Amino acid sequence: MPVILLFLTFAMTPSDTLTQTAMQELLPTSLRGWDVSEPTRFYSGREIFRYMDGAGEVYLAYGFRRLLVQRYARPNHEEILVEIFDMGLARSAFGAFTNMGGRGPVVDIGQGGEFKTGLLSFWKGRYFVCVMIDREDDEAAHAVLELGKWISAKIKEQGSKPDILRFLPDGSYASSSLRYFFRNEILNIHYYVADANLLHLHEQTDAVLVRMISDKSYLLLVQYPTSEQADSACIDFSRHYMPEGREKRIIQTENKKWTGCVRHKNFLVVVFDGGSQAQAQNLLEDIRRRLP
Amino acid sequence: MSESTMTRRDFLRTTGAAALVGTARMSLLAEQNAQNKARIILIRHENVVDKDGKVDRAIIEEMLDEAMVKLFNVESADKAWTQIVKPSDVVGIKTNVWRYLRTPLELEDAMKRRIMAAGVQEKNIDIDDRGVLSNPIFAQATALINARPMRAHNWSGVGGCLKNYIMFTPNPPDYHPESCIDLGALWKLPIVNGKTRLNILVMLTPQFHCLGPHHFDKEFTWPYKGMIVGTDPVAVDAVGLKIIEAQRTVYFKEETPMRPPVRHIKAAQEKHGIGIADPRRIDLVKVGWTEGILI
Repeated sequence: MPVILLFLTFAMTPSDTLTQTAMQELLPTSLRGWDVSEPTRFYSGREIFRYMDGAGEVYLAYGFRRLLVQRYARPNHEEILVEIFDMGLARSAFGAFTNMGGRGPVVDIGQGGEFKTGLLSFWKGRYFVCVMIDREDDEAAHAVLELGKWISAKIKEQGSKPDILRFLPDGSYASSSLRYFFRNEILNIHYYVADANLLHLHEQTDAVLVRMISDKSYLLLVQYPTSEQADSACIDFSRHYMPEGREKRIIQTENKKWTGCVRHKNFLVVVFDGGSQAQAQNLLEDIRRRLP
Repeated sequence: MSESTMTRRDFLRTTGAAALVGTARMSLLAEQNAQNKARIILIRHENVVDKDGKVDRAIIEEMLDEAMVKLFNVESADKAWTQIVKPSDVVGIKTNVWRYLRTPLELEDAMKRRIMAAGVQEKNIDIDDRGVLSNPIFAQATALINARPMRAHNWSGVGGCLKNYIMFTPNPPDYHPESCIDLGALWKLPIVNGKTRLNILVMLTPQFHCLGPHHFDKEFTWPYKGMIVGTDPVAVDAVGLKIIEAQRTVYFKEETPMRPPVRHIKAAQEKHGIGIADPRRIDLVKVGWTEGILI
């Protein structure tokens, strides 16, 4: 039942893409002396590669739909660049935000934001937004933050954070390390596991990766649509990543740290780089007890 | 699911030199192939950039000249340039204009002037990055010079000299699979194949870490104040990667592999045969400032 509810949540999220004109209405024409300096540009789907090269793959892996790019200029000041990513779903916008999360101070913009060295990033509803300026001074920082607040206010929809987050042990992991995703490519950016998709991640899975404070191990929690899928992923992962552990759930890897995994219903819990066998074991058990 | 797949554990098993062992099947430069070794110059100067990252024009020119003399074992930089370009050449200087960390204009200018001094007419030289495919000089180029800064990259692990040629394909996404493992194949495209005479990996303020697509944060750069110069783009990138990895260990206070792992440098040697990634086959010549050299 929880799986069905999870899908309904996503299915009910607005998925219609706004028209370009409507996206443009999220922006002011001028603010604090900065004026729109170039026509707005839009990139849909794989057109993103006309704007950025390999980095565009990251957004596509999060289900990216459309990008709006707007530049603002002010005489004798640096240009401000705005990028609004319509990610289609709130989970995708949240994921894109966590993908580059942990950069710096949290700001109260959108449903979660960060601002550091001239770059504001935040998510709200199905949008992930970046507002940036190359050289930051007080005036530029105020302009970037105000522009972010403007855009956030114009986005009326709110999104829900993925349900899987509630199974994480709050306070035990570095909040800046949290990455939410559903594709193997993103996992490999943050913690390279294998070229092949051993954990069978796909658009209908939910995955979250955090780094624990105590022993700096990595905790990966994956929720699959069915128990059968979780079981299949567990078997594949165990067979290829920890083949010597067929009789045990935890093994010592080449870096002298500990890796283990456990399946519980439609969840898979994996600990990488545990400080000791006991620490890895305890973390696996702790998370397993939290699962429904 | 295939029975054999590369995993993190395979990387751990082969950390260090053994990871880079392989046989170069084909090299861009016949001479290097014969010697079976790549000669690379790492040159550094304490004052080439100031605390704001501003480049000292005179010093970077001096570094370029000294590196060329050492690389080609000649008495003067002029002679070195005449070894790689001739007056009849049409020369494209492939640069990189990423807004946060571009190829220094001072370096671009210095290279152009030295190419002109070697006898190439100014009208036969151009500097370009994103427009190379529509640039008539690059279309007719008989010689290419490749220069860009080293930086961490969210999809390929790092962007260096090998990746700088992505703009020579009309279909960059074709080279994205497996963390851009096949960037070496770019170097066999007709527009560039066999034309590259010099690679300069700019390490003045390299970026050793990034969080997210096209992310830049000055905190993740450091004043290394160096350049890596060579004719082999694979060797140049391999040395640059070692330095970036060493800096990550210094900064994060633990071994912190690149994310995602860098696949394309080793593959450029082993799969595409365009140069040498094996450190045992790289003759690294260190010139200048040595403090914090990391290699």
